[in-house]
Amino acid sequence: MLQQIIALVIILFFVFRLAGQKIKKQVGANEFRLWLIFWLVAAVAIIFIKDIDWLVKLFGFSGSGINFLIYLAVLALFYLIFRLRLDLAKMDKNLTEIARQIALNDKK
Amino acid sequence: MKISCVIPAWNEAKNITTVVNRVRPLVSETIVVDDCSLDETSQLARNAGATVLRHPINRGQGAALQTGNAYALQNSADIIVHFDGDDQFLAEEIGDLTAPIISGQADIVFGSRFLGKPTNLPAFKRYFILPLARLFNRLFFGIKLSDPQNGFRALSRRAAEIIKIENRAMAHNNEIQFKAFQNKLRVVEVPVTVIYHNFGQKMSGGLKIAVDLLISKIIK
Repeated sequence: MLQQIIALVIILFFVFRLAGQKIKKQVGANEFRLWLIFWLVAAVAIIFIKDIDWLVKLFGFSGSGINFLIYLAVLALFYLIFRLRLDLAKMDKNLTEIARQIALNDKK
Repeated sequence: MKISCVIPAWNEAKNITTVVNRVRPLVSETIVVDDCSLDETSQLARNAGATVLRHPINRGQGAALQTGNAYALQNSADIIVHFDGDDQFLAEEIGDLTAPIISGQADIVFGSRFLGKPTNLPAFKRYFILPLARLFNRLFFGIKLSDPQNGFRALSRRAAEIIKIENRAMAHNNEIQFKAFQNKLRVVEVPVTVIYHNFGQKMSGGLKIAVDLLISKIIK
């Protein structure tokens, strides 16, 4: 119970931080929504951790609900890193194209 | 027939004058793409009579070659030769690369270090790294060439229009070879001489090329 409360306080801290960033317009609407949903899902998962234990057993997985959540979090992190890498590669490509156009225009 | 020679250069003040002086009499236009050098590369190339394009930021050899290709195509080149700025190729062999295109036998001609000309290639690279690279090229990209990494090549106008180099770093070598086969261009290999001043790609460089190539297969 105490662990759940601590986890919820931490999530609340991140939600407030996110709200602050939105007010200061440091994050866009879509990003704000994405992270808000992420933290809300995390909060719901922590509140109903016993039910997740039951669900995990129902599907025949060994281990507790919290382990399952950690696996999911690791998967989510892998996906985010993959997306970041793709975005960076696209930006890099665009940067090259800009450098090329500047070089060609300077020659005209 | 207009032959343009594209020479990507980064901090090549030591060699660029010699390279331009050797190449210029053999082609219609010598284009040096200065990839944001910190030395006098641009000025020296211009003084030697080259057309100089300069990237405002360093983008890598592949990016510089594509910039040179774009400029050459805009300026009506019929054949584009890629030549290194570090004086490791022989300018007099440019004719060997352009001949199959001029005679209508090829769309793209690759230089090869393994078709009979003498080389001072280190044994480790010759018998270990390059065979691995050749195998990688064949397995993943269906490239059947004797030399997996050679920057000395000639492209017909058609080939240069089809092959847009997207790998900005060293993986562009494989990319050009891959796109030539993928687009069913007529490919010819000719023997060339490569003089090693230092020993080019290290093992880590080869691995980076492999990673870049696999990523480029994912990102479009």
